[in-house]
Amino acid sequence: MDTVTALLLAFISIVLINNLVFTKFLGICPYLGVSGRIDMAFGMGLAVTFVVTLSGTLTWLIDNLILMPMHLEVTRYVCFILVIAGAVQLVEMYVRKFFPSLYKSFGIFLPLITTNCAILGLCLFINLWEIDSLIDAVVRSFGAGIGFTMAICIMAGIRENLNLADVPACLKGAPITLITAGLLTLAFMGFAGMIR
Amino acid sequence: MSRVSKIRYFFEQSWLLIVASFIFGLLIAVTNASLDTRIKQNLKNKLNKLMKELISDANEFKIVADQAEIMGDKGKVVRTDIYQAFDANESSVGFAFEAVGAGFADKIKIVIAVDGKFERFFGFKVLSSSETPGFGSKIAEDDPASNEDLVDEFKDAPAGEVKLVRTGKRREDKSEANDDEIIAITGATVSSEAVVRIFNTYTEQVRAKLQEKGLIGNGR
Amino acid sequence: MADEARAGPAVYKETLLAGLWRENPVFRLLLGMCPTLAVTAAVKPALTMGCCVIFVLVCSNVVVSLMRNLLKPHLRILMFTLAISTFVTIADLFLKAFVPRMSETLGPYVPLIIVNCIIICRAEACASKNGLAISIIDAVGMGVGFTLTLCVLAGVRELLSTGKIFEAQVTPDWFVPWAAMSMPVGAFVTLGLLLGLVNVLSKSRS
Repeated sequence: MDTVTALLLAFISIVLINNLVFTKFLGICPYLGVSGRIDMAFGMGLAVTFVVTLSGTLTWLIDNLILMPMHLEVTRYVCFILVIAGAVQLVEMYVRKFFPSLYKSFGIFLPLITTNCAILGLCLFINLWEIDSLIDAVVRSFGAGIGFTMAICIMAGIRENLNLADVPACLKGAPITLITAGLLTLAFMGFAGMIR
Repeated sequence: MSRVSKIRYFFEQSWLLIVASFIFGLLIAVTNASLDTRIKQNLKNKLNKLMKELISDANEFKIVADQAEIMGDKGKVVRTDIYQAFDANESSVGFAFEAVGAGFADKIKIVIAVDGKFERFFGFKVLSSSETPGFGSKIAEDDPASNEDLVDEFKDAPAGEVKLVRTGKRREDKSEANDDEIIAITGATVSSEAVVRIFNTYTEQVRAKLQEKGLIGNGR
Repeated sequence: MADEARAGPAVYKETLLAGLWRENPVFRLLLGMCPTLAVTAAVKPALTMGCCVIFVLVCSNVVVSLMRNLLKPHLRILMFTLAISTFVTIADLFLKAFVPRMSETLGPYVPLIIVNCIIICRAEACASKNGLAISIIDAVGMGVGFTLTLCVLAGVRELLSTGKIFEAQVTPDWFVPWAAMSMPVGAFVTLGLLLGLVNVLSKSRS
């Protein structure tokens, strides 16, 4: 029961408290680019969740089973990015072949995700936080994806309404999105310190 | 024929990749080999510098308990090295060890120093923390504007269980009764609490380890 | 190639200046946002990050430009990624060895240079199609533009959140620092307002 509570707390902490977009500044580029409409945002979020869970698990495995025992930590960054790129390729091929309808809804975002800082960032953070167990890494990766999806959907909802608002001409587009994101960050700060 | 040509095709397409991987791998290996000692030395220097700031008489530090196991905050086992400080006459002037615990934002890593008989703390220094700047970060900084300093609160505090209080007498005016009270920093209550918790988690266990090794007496 | 040789200095100057204003990677191309927001809490880390990016940009542009005729089309992104991650690893090792405090402050954002869109985009758009000289100049221009942007943002944030620039006290005593500037809020809002300002400035120019 204790492990389940710990995992649940880890999940909540990465979705709400240490949200990748709002506190760690990861995944901003797609966040700004794709959050125009809720359906696209949701598709992007799902794709990211899928890839990040897979990558988080794979990189944790490689790091703990191959790199650390063999003292090859210096090749960590190269290995991580190659694993992520490879995983994304495989996922794209697999989804295109076996789930064509799914491919239609979020397949186009998959190649973009390789350069999404959130994926590599999360793998590095899992390494930084010295996560010991595989299941903990999986839960946190999944949580990171869910957190990103939540953040991007909230932003999409707000932007759809912003289209009707009277935004000054110089602030239209990226500037007002960034300012909105800042205010959202402020709101989410209220969750800080919730979990020790 | 077709199998050989498949292999040939594979090599034709990827020879650059293979060659480049070798060259890049070599670059990384060479850089790593030449900078590795320097990087390790930097980490050691940082720890030594902080320990020296805490125990001013110390001339050198020797590890007396390598990777000692401490039961951490959440029941997880943490390993830390316990150092003994010696002055120029080779006599013991204190002990120091790294301690880590959960803070408001992320982990807080500190160095705790205790006197030679493990009776009083020398204080602590922050190795790394990501507390909220301007609020939680005050546990580390020495802010001349305010007269609150968490490190000062620990100086000469008895080496045992300490309590966090909101207000009270500063260290200079303390008497026997409230010697073990640590006053929290305004605006950094959770972070101060975290530091006190780290102290309480580690102190007794480190004392036990040192007693095991016969480096300090058993009487309190 | 021939007119490149003839055009010479003019083209070089044009390429260099493009990265600074007209095609400024952060303000105009909207690339490389993640490190921009993360490391600009103070000017020193921003400058360090900028220098790293310049180093990686130049090295990767050089390598890609030298290899450009040998690259197979479907493997090129892989090659770019491999080259970039190698140079980032080297840069990270240098930081850890020579400026350990900065390395700690920058933390995981140094390896995130690998996925910094600026570098891959320049490798793809410029280095894989142009000669060595132009690639290097483009890299330097983009890198310096990026660094300047980071420093401007960091300057604003550091000034308002601590009253200091580069750890030297600048503001008078009565100034109450805005702690929010050093937090994520300050980062997003400042960048948004700066982007708005750039939009105003470029509209009034044209």
